[in-house]
Amino acid sequence: MSLFEGLRFSGGDTPIHRLDPRAKFLLTASIFTAAVLYFHLLPLLIIFLIQLPIVAAARVWRGWLRTLRGGIYIAVLILVTNLISFYFYKGRVFTPEIVEYSLSMTLRFIVLVASFSIFFLTTSPDRLSLALEKLHVPYEFTFAFITAIRFVPVLAEEAQSIIDAQRARGLELERGGPLRRVRNYIPILLPLIVNSIRRSLELAEAMESRAFGAVRERTNLYELEMGGLDYVVLALSIALTTIAIYMRVFHPQLGAFFPRV
Amino acid sequence: MPPSIVEVRDVSYTYPNAEEPALRDVNLTVEEGEFILLTGPSGCGKTTLCRCLNGLIPHFYSGELEGEVRVLGLSTREHPPSELARYVGLIFQNPDNQIFSLTVEKEVAFGLENLGVEREEMRRRVEWALEVVGLSHLRHRLTNELSGGEKQRLAIASILAMRPRVIVLDEPTSFLDPKAAERLFEILQHLNREYGLTIILIEHRVDLAVRYVDRVVVMDDGLIIVDAPPREAFTSPKTRAVGVAVPRVLELSERLLRMGIPLKRLPLTPEELLEELQGRLRSDGGRGGGELRVEGAEPIIEVLDVSYVYPNGVKALDGVSLHINRGEFVAIMGENGAGKTTLVKHFIGLLKPTEGRVLVDGVDTSKATVASLARKVGLVFQNPDDQLFAESVEEEIAFALRNFGYSEDVVSKRVEWALHLLDIERYRGQSPFTLSGGERKRVALASVLAWDPEVVVLDEPTIGQDYAQKERLRHFLLQLRSQGKTTIIVTHDVEFVAECQPRIILMAEGRIMADGPARRILSDVEALEKASITPPEIVRILRGLSPYGVPCDILDVEEAAKVIAGRFRR
Repeated sequence: MSLFEGLRFSGGDTPIHRLDPRAKFLLTASIFTAAVLYFHLLPLLIIFLIQLPIVAAARVWRGWLRTLRGGIYIAVLILVTNLISFYFYKGRVFTPEIVEYSLSMTLRFIVLVASFSIFFLTTSPDRLSLALEKLHVPYEFTFAFITAIRFVPVLAEEAQSIIDAQRARGLELERGGPLRRVRNYIPILLPLIVNSIRRSLELAEAMESRAFGAVRERTNLYELEMGGLDYVVLALSIALTTIAIYMRVFHPQLGAFFPRV
Repeated sequence: MPPSIVEVRDVSYTYPNAEEPALRDVNLTVEEGEFILLTGPSGCGKTTLCRCLNGLIPHFYSGELEGEVRVLGLSTREHPPSELARYVGLIFQNPDNQIFSLTVEKEVAFGLENLGVEREEMRRRVEWALEVVGLSHLRHRLTNELSGGEKQRLAIASILAMRPRVIVLDEPTSFLDPKAAERLFEILQHLNREYGLTIILIEHRVDLAVRYVDRVVVMDDGLIIVDAPPREAFTSPKTRAVGVAVPRVLELSERLLRMGIPLKRLPLTPEELLEELQGRLRSDGGRGGGELRVEGAEPIIEVLDVSYVYPNGVKALDGVSLHINRGEFVAIMGENGAGKTTLVKHFIGLLKPTEGRVLVDGVDTSKATVASLARKVGLVFQNPDDQLFAESVEEEIAFALRNFGYSEDVVSKRVEWALHLLDIERYRGQSPFTLSGGERKRVALASVLAWDPEVVVLDEPTIGQDYAQKERLRHFLLQLRSQGKTTIIVTHDVEFVAECQPRIILMAEGRIMADGPARRILSDVEALEKASITPPEIVRILRGLSPYGVPCDILDVEEAAKVIAGRFRR
């Protein structure tokens, strides 16, 4: 779960945090694009390293590293699957290319996780939803998105109380064979579901009482305006994408330790 | 003459699929600037009436509505809640289920954004609302990091920002500790006096609420049975007949009257009673009160220098040591977040100490499973909805018994016994989900008592319970006690504890601040202050009379009346 935990916004106020979410998203998208374009270790490593100064500027080392740690299992899985499948595909041989390619795929995954992590760690969902509104995403969607984030800790707490209450009544989750273990979760899931239904009704009442949907043109407490730094980031993102595409098209073998013949 | 701010004319309402109407022929007129307390037993229709006031009925709830509700002259039939929200603000019991945003100031702005208020004006109103409820310093805080009291104040701020003319609060203090509740009431009073805001408050804590309101409406079974100023309302035989809580001071005053002590008017607050008695007492006279019962000295729960740190680094217990003897009746008190629930979770091994040891009947909890400890210690959690899941009440009660591996024979016998004990035999085949809140609470209690654990621990048993339900619970606890069961309650309900008179363990910030018999602890105002607990009403009065040498370690109304009467200059 720590993969997701590392993605949670936890406050902070640095130039990176203050970037317009739209500009920041474009930066993330350009890193994403560049990573997807390359199959070789060296360029992917460069793309990975580009992100380090951003993490440093945003001072989110801890959350960022935690996300990467959470991604390790999947990374290992990608590496092993690639190695095994190419081993059989190429006729039961390991070649240096296979190793490089598999490592590249793994690194690509890490680059993607890393870039998304930076985005979510430094973007408050409130500002993100505002950006979505500006991009004409219907408000119902952004509202649902924000409410979902808002209720994650509430649900987690409730799930814990339910588990405690049922364990206090002698429920042992680890008891029995695989089928029995699944059944053990019924006394936990049912109250959780029933409570959620009850809660959704209460939430709907509270929404009505707060004039939800009263006027078509909602206003927003915050304003998004692109500032100087935002335009710099915008320019950098476009430059990065352009260079990445140019190199990929005109120098496809660049950075390959073992050029394919 | 301008129309009244709220007018309810001959309103009857039946929920969809319900057999009985929830409101019958209700008539209520509220003038601008009034502060009204709406009370009555659970299920009497209070909440339904609130829903009528902002148009949730009939726009959100279908069903059959007769009669007419007007708010500032606007008919609720013609105007939907989103429109009425500008005039009537509704605040609900559970603070968590009315907060939508991630940060405090954004939450306050939510309603204004929905109304399309422009940014400058919005900013001003948000600042004002935060200021009024005292949350300005937390404006950038994440909403889920707030305490219960702060969350409820945030809910009020979010409603205030929309500048309604009336606010309606449906049991807003249920989840709050006494200090937070008092703070909330003070904010309401300020709003009422300074801004002329009309307030309709549903509340079970009448002792606290009575000093702020100027009118009391009592409901029962869908009808308004009393609508009068507080003094009349609480002395009315009709109010007494339906079983709603009556301010403790009033009870005491009535006893004094019966003992032949003349009072010019019936006091409702400790201050009023003190004023009446000023200069009329002699400074000598009999001392009331009996001796304390000495408990058996065989410990069943031993907590030895226990500290507990949650995975997120919060230290919830800090060097706690205590012994609870077999057959003792103990209340663990303290404000929310003091570590009470964390402590009792150690009794059945749901949490294991970070440092120190907990022994239950001599067994170290860190070496035993939760299931084995649970057979000795039955823990009933605060919210019955966190545990009810079975198809029928019987099945619900049998769940734990089967987990413990009793034979079907024994299971059915114990289920019968528990159904009878909690007086819920008639619901045996019914789904627990269809029962009322109070009934669900009893089913949850039965499902734990069924295996007859030696120790019974109840976490916040009085939350959301009305007067009659609390009385029933109190009798039940006394019954358990007389059977020699070790009973532990975790609570911040001071008046309830004052009536039960258990041994009290006061906690604050993960430590034990005081430990002793109820009479001593509840009259130790300094210790209570440290634990953020307000003293019971009776103690407040007796402390005011201490210049006359009146002892203040008395909790019982009858006894207090005797002590005061004993000193009266006739």
